[in-house]
Amino acid sequence: MNVVVCTKHVPNPQGTPTLGPDHLLVRSGVEGALDPGDEYGLELALQLVERHGGEVTAVSMGPDDALAAVQRALAMGAHRGVLVTDDVLRGADALVTARVLAAAIQRQPAELVIAGVESTDGYTGTVPVTVAALLGHPSVTAVRALELEGDALRVERQTESGYDVYACPTPALITVTAGATEPRYPSLKGIMQAKQKPLDRLTAADLGLAPEDLRSSQTVVEVVDAPPPPGGEIVEGDTAVGRIADLLADAGAI
Amino acid sequence: MVLFVRRARPRLDVLRTARPDGRTDEPGVRARREVVQVLGQRKLFQKAVPGVMHATIFWGFLILLPTIAEAMLAVIDPAWTLPYLGHAAWFAFLQDAFAALVAIAVGVAFWIRKVQRPDRFRGSHMREADLILLTILGIVTSLLLWNASRIALGSADHPSAAPVANALSGLFSGGRGTEVAERILVWTHLLLVLGFLTYLPRSKHLHILTAAPNVYLAKNAPSGYLTPLRIDLDAADADVRFGAAVATDLTRKQVLDLYSCTECGRCQEVCPAWATGKPLSPKLLIMGLRDQVVAETSAIVAATPSGTVELQPLVPNAVTDEVVWDCVTCGACVRECPVDIEHVDTIVDLRRNLVMAESRFPPEAGAMLRGVETAEDPWGQPASARTDWARGLDDVHVLEPGDPPPEVLFWVGCAGAFDERAQATTRSIARLLIAAGVEVAILGPRERCTGDPARRMGHEYLFQILAEQNVETLNGAGVTKIVASCAHCFNTLANEYPDYGGDYEVVHHTELLSTLIREGRLAPGAGADGTVTYHDACYLGRHNGRFDAPREVLHGAGAATVEMPRNRERSFCCGAGGARMWMEEGGDARINETRFAEAAATGADTVAVACPYCFVMLDDAAKASGSSVRVADVATLLAASVLPEPAT
Amino acid sequence: MTTAWVYAELAGGVLDGSAAELLTTARTLADEVAAIALGPGATAAAADLGAAGAATVYASDDEVFASHSGGPQAFVLGGLIEEHRPSIVLFPGSYEGRDVAGRVQARTGSTLMANAIAVPAIDRARTEIFGGMTVVDVQLQGPEPHLVLVRPRSVTAEPTGGTATIVAVPAEIPEADLGARLVERHEEAATGPKLEEARVIVSGGRGLGGPDAFAMLDALASAIGGAAVGASRAAVDAGWVPYSYQIGQTGKTVKPDVYIAAGISGALQHVVGMKGAKRIVAINKDPEAPILKMADLGVVGDVFEVIPALTEEIRRRSGS
Repeated sequence: MNVVVCTKHVPNPQGTPTLGPDHLLVRSGVEGALDPGDEYGLELALQLVERHGGEVTAVSMGPDDALAAVQRALAMGAHRGVLVTDDVLRGADALVTARVLAAAIQRQPAELVIAGVESTDGYTGTVPVTVAALLGHPSVTAVRALELEGDALRVERQTESGYDVYACPTPALITVTAGATEPRYPSLKGIMQAKQKPLDRLTAADLGLAPEDLRSSQTVVEVVDAPPPPGGEIVEGDTAVGRIADLLADAGAI
Repeated sequence: MVLFVRRARPRLDVLRTARPDGRTDEPGVRARREVVQVLGQRKLFQKAVPGVMHATIFWGFLILLPTIAEAMLAVIDPAWTLPYLGHAAWFAFLQDAFAALVAIAVGVAFWIRKVQRPDRFRGSHMREADLILLTILGIVTSLLLWNASRIALGSADHPSAAPVANALSGLFSGGRGTEVAERILVWTHLLLVLGFLTYLPRSKHLHILTAAPNVYLAKNAPSGYLTPLRIDLDAADADVRFGAAVATDLTRKQVLDLYSCTECGRCQEVCPAWATGKPLSPKLLIMGLRDQVVAETSAIVAATPSGTVELQPLVPNAVTDEVVWDCVTCGACVRECPVDIEHVDTIVDLRRNLVMAESRFPPEAGAMLRGVETAEDPWGQPASARTDWARGLDDVHVLEPGDPPPEVLFWVGCAGAFDERAQATTRSIARLLIAAGVEVAILGPRERCTGDPARRMGHEYLFQILAEQNVETLNGAGVTKIVASCAHCFNTLANEYPDYGGDYEVVHHTELLSTLIREGRLAPGAGADGTVTYHDACYLGRHNGRFDAPREVLHGAGAATVEMPRNRERSFCCGAGGARMWMEEGGDARINETRFAEAAATGADTVAVACPYCFVMLDDAAKASGSSVRVADVATLLAASVLPEPAT
Repeated sequence: MTTAWVYAELAGGVLDGSAAELLTTARTLADEVAAIALGPGATAAAADLGAAGAATVYASDDEVFASHSGGPQAFVLGGLIEEHRPSIVLFPGSYEGRDVAGRVQARTGSTLMANAIAVPAIDRARTEIFGGMTVVDVQLQGPEPHLVLVRPRSVTAEPTGGTATIVAVPAEIPEADLGARLVERHEEAATGPKLEEARVIVSGGRGLGGPDAFAMLDALASAIGGAAVGASRAAVDAGWVPYSYQIGQTGKTVKPDVYIAAGISGALQHVVGMKGAKRIVAINKDPEAPILKMADLGVVGDVFEVIPALTEEIRRRSGS
């Protein structure tokens, strides 16, 4: 079974993210890494091909720096990498991103596409299903366990009070939660071997996408600093219980 | 003799093919160690009775060496003997005395092994030891009886110089029977000696040949120093080995270590892991590795650098994964070993292979490696938070690029910057330095993890990157002198950064504070209440010999002190070293709780520490036990005594 | 005339509270407001949707929507959009909302905005970035309808008390659009969700004093519903709960909406595993405990009083 894993390069979660003068997140020249949320799916994919054979391809879209994310995926054990880099893709919105990923994924045969539930920097969470729809694949999101049964998948989808089991025909797309598995830490050997692995660097034109497919339909028009959060508050005594319950209600937990 | 050479040959071949490690610099230091430790038997005397026992046998052997030649001549012709020595009364006396003393020592050895039965022998080859001791007893007894028979025959030059043999000569009538007995005894003596020699190369008793070179080749640097592996990812090919995967990856010293172990178990006795019921015993580790090297001898010798396919991986065959990860790298075993086996360095080499080549390690430690890798600190905290501890301390100067070089740089360390408890220590140090008129200059967000936890974990490459980056920052800032509060940072900066171009005068905060007290720049105030017991941090004390400065600071704080049973060189680890801080602990007991119980048993009200790792571990143990004994850094105790306002 | 639609989520045949909030927003954007409710209970929910402000409810009670994941909903909604051409469709920011909106987007080729906290105009959405430190307004362009996923509880629902016209929609889904099929449901009320996936975590530390006190946390978690119980290393080391409960440097890293730390001091080892929580509540009797400094709501008090009282209060509020 061949698996494609969507891998996103995100700014270092410990760094201070900034918006450029164009109101776009500064992505180039900042320290970044493979989105930790993508590592779970990658791990699941690697385990799948270790059991059933096949290859894992890591596909990413981003600036040159995003190469680091693909290389990390290769170091963890992915067999080949695809990075789509193009100046026209700067500031790509969810739909453009989905079109690019779908076109890049289509270039190699794969029975399964895996992505994270949402990215750590943008957390839109719809790109994977849009990719699935563009590819004509069924999709199951928030998957916490996965088994291959013949040509179909048996997946456990996380719910608020437990999990649902779905039977999913292949080819398919799934998104994977953090609870699904423990991602491996790449060995130095893996990092060295990653350099020898095939890596395709593509432009939007290589994917045969027309300029109108690549036009984003969102523009940031206003940026304001949010009012500082009310900050920590210390309470004592009888009001405490009511306050905690209020907070839970406000968070939608009860 | 031929048999001896034939049997010793494979051992030598393995040593010859092992990786060279260039341990021949500073011959003066090495020769001095040879005198003190081998001839002087210094480390053996760390245990009084076994020390005297061993020294007696060892010195006896040296003195009785000419006797072998004497016996060889005598078996050919009873009249033949060594020129001069064979006729010297003083030598006859020494021979007699030491033969008797060795016999007594063997008796003591049996008493230790059979009656006292210390736990350190658990797992050792007891039968083999018995056989060796009996052979030694046979050798000296046959010597004494041979001499006695010669006295009886009147062929001894100085009967009265050999009182023991003289006394035994009464057993012989002096007639024809005695002549036959004399022949039998000299043959018995010589055959026992030769048999012993033949048995030697395949036994743990090979140490009588390997111990001296092993001590000579020991590390001259402080024991906290690790030899770097230079890793160039662009040059190295994918098949290159990192650390020790198979027997041929071991260095010459590491192999000699294996041949030098006599299974005395002194290391096992002091090992915190073994003491708390974990599978690691430094002795069993060395024995396991030795057994595999011996079993694979012909394959090792035949192996070429490129083809070692027939060799089994050392982990988990010789030692299990768990054993490799149990080590706190406290160095108690190395310190105790009479023949200078370097267990810790070998363990780190095994870890290097597991981490860098195989990515095989306790999964919970992955967060530390990821943190060091992406955030440059083990807890993955943002660099911008590195100065949070200094809020409200306006005199703390965060060095910006281009600032003039500081007189002393305060290396805060990740724990000192991020850990709530260690922050109290950091603040105390800063306030004391400010009070003494010392400028407190820090790198702030430009400081990175020294790489110590990654290195002790076996990730040499990650350490190398951080070392290079930190050295670049430090050299760029013109730093010449550093004060470090973390014992692990201290060890790395002082001992390991010179390999990466970082040569600084590195002092620990307790050293700087004790100097300031001595110079009168910190005036002692009111003494602390209650008594204090000081816990020596491994990487400050045993690994680097800093025992007095922390105690001087406590003295300066006016504290009444009490020592724990295990202190200074033989202090017992807190359990956090060797990256164990970031791993879960198995076994029957916890190392930190074991140590804390020892501290609390002194009756002290406060356990003083000088390293943030010790602080966190012992404080956790204090809380877990519900004890009222408080844990605090010596700097905080000094601040409470010296500074007008209460320490925060 | 502008039309705003709301995707009304049904969970187990019951209308989700998000629908009324979305309808409240939709009414500020358009003259005509409609809701789409698909799955068992849809027709029955139309009355509530009408009362919340929907003039029209496109509904189907077909089982196919409950037994498949997103595909049938997206197929039907996509068809309705092509037929009626609304200007904007609001979705709840839930897994289902994302699944349906994402699929619809592939069909409509229109813009999609997630995590909106407000929709000031039909072509404008507001969102927070950088952990809520910055608010940005985004201009929505391209073909209509604009697809906007709105965070729950961004607005307070203001019912109109109206009634809706029900338009039954057929549920003839082509095989290719069915997608994955639900075969089993598992409720894990007793054990709760996995720590990494829980929206609320109740976590205990050394201050709980022993294993028995964790039963108290279990009771609180089950009163909240969908909450998981965790622990600090101190509690795990003491043997009160298994290692799988451990949150922190050498345990699990969690990012729930609400994290309730009971009797946890807040050592660095623990904090690194839970600092990603959106809101932190800490209960500790020691006013100096570091956890109180980082909590959004710190309670200085006895966990043995606060936790049972809180459990009682939550049960009272949920009316059970």
